[in-house]
Amino acid sequence: MSDIVVVEGLMKRYGDVEAVRGISFRIRKGEVFGLLGPNGAGKTTTIHVIATLLRPTAGRVAVAGHDVAREAAEVRKRIGIVFQDPSLDTALTAYENMYIHGLLYGLGGEELKKRIRELLEFVELREHANRLVRNFSGGMRRRLEVARALLHRPELLILDEPTIGLDPHTRARIWDYIREVQRAEGMTILLTTHYMDEAEELCDRIAIMDRGRIMAEGTAEELKSLIGSDVIIARFDRPACFRDPPIKECRELPDGRVEMVVENAAKALPQLFDAARASGLRIVEVSYRRPTLNEVFLHLTGRELRDSPSSTTRPPAFMARRR
Amino acid sequence: MGFARAFGVMVYRQLKRFVKARGRLVMTLAQPIIWIVFFGVGMGSVFSFSNPVAESFIKQVFGGLDYMTYLTTGVVGMTVFLGSFISGITVLWDKQFGFLKETLVAPAPRSAIILGRSFGDTLVVLLQAAIIALVAKAVAPSINLAGLPAALAYGLILGMGLASAGIVISLRMTTPESFQVVMNFVMMPLMFLSGVFYPLDRLPLWAKAIATANPLTYAVDGVRYWLTGASAYGPLKDLVILSAISAVFIALSVWEFRRATLD
Repeated sequence: MSDIVVVEGLMKRYGDVEAVRGISFRIRKGEVFGLLGPNGAGKTTTIHVIATLLRPTAGRVAVAGHDVAREAAEVRKRIGIVFQDPSLDTALTAYENMYIHGLLYGLGGEELKKRIRELLEFVELREHANRLVRNFSGGMRRRLEVARALLHRPELLILDEPTIGLDPHTRARIWDYIREVQRAEGMTILLTTHYMDEAEELCDRIAIMDRGRIMAEGTAEELKSLIGSDVIIARFDRPACFRDPPIKECRELPDGRVEMVVENAAKALPQLFDAARASGLRIVEVSYRRPTLNEVFLHLTGRELRDSPSSTTRPPAFMARRR
Repeated sequence: MGFARAFGVMVYRQLKRFVKARGRLVMTLAQPIIWIVFFGVGMGSVFSFSNPVAESFIKQVFGGLDYMTYLTTGVVGMTVFLGSFISGITVLWDKQFGFLKETLVAPAPRSAIILGRSFGDTLVVLLQAAIIALVAKAVAPSINLAGLPAALAYGLILGMGLASAGIVISLRMTTPESFQVVMNFVMMPLMFLSGVFYPLDRLPLWAKAIATANPLTYAVDGVRYWLTGASAYGPLKDLVILSAISAVFIALSVWEFRRATLD
């Protein structure tokens, strides 16, 4: 059995609000799977169902072959989760938080103490082990939560927006931990994010979620190939679309701009200018991009996704990898 | 993951939290001591007469006790009542600060988690009650401290019940503001209609009815019996009714927590 998580037709309704509207996906053992989408897409609801904290309205969800509704205890044993909001006991020290977690998961003795020391070392909190969590910064708390979630060696590590609200430096460290855990332990990781660079950086496969639905699923490359090669985004002085070669596809975006898919934007742009002039259109703005997950998202939903704040601090490396 | 182990972990956590926040002990002791000192001294002086006839009449009203002895033994019960209820309400803070989710995803029996939590908190409250009993002995020397362990056993039952009641309310409550409402409109009336401050037998019917359903009534009566020998219902009846009411709250808290989700 190579699928550690199976989600089939999952639906979750809160009163009149349909947070998740019938989604299906599978996560393979050992991969990093990302749910990418804006706030309110239903990502957190989905992982709360997987973590046995919400009952599905309809559909079936299983972790390692155990149904989350009927065999919650079996599922809980196998997962470690880092919530979007902190879930630490701030009145206790970092060490005590780890220790109590270990005991609750059936660990104990010297082995537990050793593992706590290792993990606090791993997230670089060893020297803060005996400080009250109340005095920790947001980044330190997140790192402690990551360490705590790893304590009982879960088969599936769930991270809900692992780097939201963190400074670029801490974000980079959390990314390193995630890669390290995956490499060293071969752990399956499910993460949610609304940062497309985070999804691209960390995930083997990505499901793009919007308004309770999965719009597309695949590797970052596969998702980008949904679009083709380059994307030209233009705004004309009045609504218009061009569909003649070299433009392969054209559609108007809700904000009035026009998205055109071309093979090679550098060559297509002059032709677009000519075509616009010939039809008496004025180009108000124009830009082109290699497709990123943002273009994929824009293409699928008509809205834009954001990059995480850290990407702006290191654009050269970021651009270089894209090509 | 065994029941006993998860229970023990939660007791450990609650005790740890208490040790970390020793300052709170002073805070929680302040209120009962204020009642004893400022209310007890005042009312005690009202009810003390040099005339032996009046004196014996007053003692008859307070079950054969002088007022200070009557009040302070009641305050021991009240300390458990308020302290354990407030400890149960702190689940609301766990909800607010997220630790609740950590216990909800843990692969341990939910019943063990919530019972361990109530028990750990009740142990802390019993320590406070014991301290209040010592304070009571200082101002009311006729108190018999040999009965303290038995009195604390009544406190344990009351404490488990009230901590559970607090947990049920905080699991259902959506805002911390409702806590004030519950304190003012439920806990305060129950505190007065319990025999802590005055005997219940001359109260109007409606007030008696509330007192009869109030677990604190039986806890106070039982504690008073073991510390002074005076009792309105008898220690056995106290024990049975108190246990029954507490059992209901404990069962409710387990039931609520077992089905708790983030919905």
